[in-house]
Amino acid sequence: MSDLEMAATTELGARPGEVPPAAGGTPPPKTRSLAGDAWYDLRRNWIFWVAAALVVLVVLMAVAPGLFSSADPTACNTRRQYAGPSGGAILGYDFQGCDVFSRTVHGARASVLVGLFAVLLTGVIGLVFGMLAGYFGGWLDALLSRVIDVVLGIPLLLAAIVLSKRLAADRSGSGIVSVVIVLGILGWTTAARVMRSSVLAARSQDYVAAARMLGAGPLRIMWRHILPNALAPFIVVLTIALGTFIATEATLSFLNIGLRPPAISWGIDIATAGKHVREAAMPLIAPSLFLTLTVLAFIMLGDAIRDAFDPKLRR
Amino acid sequence: MQVRRLIAGTVVPLAVTAGLVGCNSGDSAKVDPDGVVSIQIAEPQHMTPANSNDASGIQVLSALFAPLVSYDDSFKPVPDAAESVESQDHKTWTIKLKDGYTFHNGEKVTADNYIDAWNYAAYGPNAQNNGFFFSRIGGYAATQSKDPDGAEGPEKAPTPKAKTMSGLKKVDDLTFQVTLSAPFTEFETMLGYSAFYPLPKAAFSAPGVVKEDFESAPIGNGPFMMNGKWEHDAKVEVAKYDGYPGAKPKVGGVEFRIYLQPSAAYADVLSDNLDVIPQIPTESIPTAPDDLGDRFQRSSASQFQFLAFPTFEQEFSNPDVRKAISKAIDRDEIVRSVFKGSQQSARSFVSPVVAGYRENTCGDACEFNPQAAKQLYQQAGGPSKITLSYNSDGPHKDWIDATCNQLNANLGVECTAVPEAKIADLLDKVEAKTPVGIFRLGWIMDYPSMESYLNPLYSTTGSSNYYGYSNGDFDRLLEEGSKAATQEESIKKYQQAEDILARELPVIPLRFTQNNFGYSTRVQNVVVDLFSRIDLTQIEVLG
Repeated sequence: MSDLEMAATTELGARPGEVPPAAGGTPPPKTRSLAGDAWYDLRRNWIFWVAAALVVLVVLMAVAPGLFSSADPTACNTRRQYAGPSGGAILGYDFQGCDVFSRTVHGARASVLVGLFAVLLTGVIGLVFGMLAGYFGGWLDALLSRVIDVVLGIPLLLAAIVLSKRLAADRSGSGIVSVVIVLGILGWTTAARVMRSSVLAARSQDYVAAARMLGAGPLRIMWRHILPNALAPFIVVLTIALGTFIATEATLSFLNIGLRPPAISWGIDIATAGKHVREAAMPLIAPSLFLTLTVLAFIMLGDAIRDAFDPKLRR
Repeated sequence: MQVRRLIAGTVVPLAVTAGLVGCNSGDSAKVDPDGVVSIQIAEPQHMTPANSNDASGIQVLSALFAPLVSYDDSFKPVPDAAESVESQDHKTWTIKLKDGYTFHNGEKVTADNYIDAWNYAAYGPNAQNNGFFFSRIGGYAATQSKDPDGAEGPEKAPTPKAKTMSGLKKVDDLTFQVTLSAPFTEFETMLGYSAFYPLPKAAFSAPGVVKEDFESAPIGNGPFMMNGKWEHDAKVEVAKYDGYPGAKPKVGGVEFRIYLQPSAAYADVLSDNLDVIPQIPTESIPTAPDDLGDRFQRSSASQFQFLAFPTFEQEFSNPDVRKAISKAIDRDEIVRSVFKGSQQSARSFVSPVVAGYRENTCGDACEFNPQAAKQLYQQAGGPSKITLSYNSDGPHKDWIDATCNQLNANLGVECTAVPEAKIADLLDKVEAKTPVGIFRLGWIMDYPSMESYLNPLYSTTGSSNYYGYSNGDFDRLLEEGSKAATQEESIKKYQQAEDILARELPVIPLRFTQNNFGYSTRVQNVVVDLFSRIDLTQIEVLG
């Protein structure tokens, strides 16, 4: 979670509504919106393109694993134990005689699903908490901020182990729902803090005062005026969080408290292959590499977007 | 680990084991007689003679208690804490105790200690796991009562007619008489099991009531005494008891260290942080000879691994479904690929180590034939989804996964392997009839007899009959077998009973296992016996 927290402590105050100072040496030819300016920056950032390509690749694997490997990842036969690459199985076979490449490709789906839904959940919780705390301030802010502090103080893995045990009591299914719930309950604090700070910045703007004077209610002001202008850093944080959630899911699965078979997950495969690494390394290397690249891709993507929205930070 | 029974005797005649281990005796100059040896166990379910029926609990108890009889190399019972066990008619048995045995608190061991302990274990309302082992003693029925509306119903079971068994009579301080309700030829053999240990007076808070915290520091009559208390999920420490008149151990004490993960225990042996691991995890067996050299050893064991069906559930109630599943499993392939030949395929219901074992009693049902299996499975209407439950504190994941993959491929079903953290969790769920699907169990004989593989596991009232199996003919044959005058006649009846199992398959045999154990550089003379228990009178610590 260190990346997540780093992102939180960084002041992500892209002043909403202001035209940011021109980035880089070449000033943009004419005044653009914040998003337009960010896109101008992003286009010329190679890190963004590498990260985006990786993310597209992983998402494609999750949506249509058949494009990459036609082999059934659950068709395993110990007669092929540790057999070398052959046909479609370009990475060979593991201890149980499963196609390593196919399992790795199919493992993307669980990771992406967990990451996506956990981010949605943390996003919703974080948005509500951050918005309320930031907009209304006063005692509500104090209360919500303390709640955030308390949840932030709980060690993620420890709490996840306890919660997973509780949720695993219902043993049906592959455990995706319970992992999403665990990550959602424990991971929303950073998003809430970031949201709160950008709402704090946005609500003192003149256009908010103007809207209020014209008689807009708090809900309308939050929704129409503050949210669009406070959204950018929030999205950046969530993008980075997506990567860390995937890593956490793999950690939980590795510890036998995350996803369960029949789900195919990189964490499960890493745990299984780790025991047999002295006999065959590829079944361990393949899912580890894919996991690392996926997490890296989302974090790099988040970094690149943050840089684009907040050029000051780069200097 | 698994449901396992271990018999009690730690004392295997020295001549025999010395022959087995042999070579190391020349190093005795370096042996430290006060050294403490550490041994891996899993968290015991219980630690009292009447309630322990898991391997770890019994391993600890066998250090704390001395059994009435132990076994020689041909599994004939020889008196240990008993002076003699005699009977003319196999119905009335006279047990004479050796003089000089004391409990660790100084109490002298008398006949009363046995009678009190056995009555406590048998008394129905005490609900002790091993109460079943006393069912042959006269008057046992009067100590039981039946809940009129089952365990779940609102009504409570009535109080039994008697608190004690009429078949137990004290003759003098060191002699007592056991009258069985029917003759049982192998009663003496049974007495080696840990359920038959005595309890000191100090264990009871009132007559017939054992103190609740007794199991946190049991007081026994054996070669070791508790050193501190049972630290749950951490360790149990025992120290040499100087007042023990039997064969003295060659170490100062034993630390039974509790592990949740066998692989962690193995890593600790490699780094000399743990002295003995009684069963090396499957995945480490291929590399164990390189890792440990001479300190990786094998010995034969009595363990029988099988898959059990909840026969009370509709989907597994048809024997043809069970047979089809059995035929879809390629036992030899799993032994080859997963166990690297360290176990042996089982096609019988009793282990080759006991008299009366026959090869391949399972016959056609255990023959791998995927085509026939699939056809039979479809005809019998087997479920399209199968769950295989196992306990992850034992080395089972790999072979369960492989078995599941075979069922997927050969039956066209969707098989899922579901781990439970501890064997106790799994058994609790099975007992509560929570659907767990097919589940794995392992069985180590309680005492060296074919009967020990049949009666507790499959008889209607069997203590470990977790599958709701009940067959009148089977029960009758077992009863006839235990009454038979000679061992040969008993075995004949038992074999007929085994044939019924082969037809009905409440469980399917998978493998007979052996002990694959390893030890650190700190110890020598490590012997793991047929009961998969480390012989604590043999092991030595190097100074």
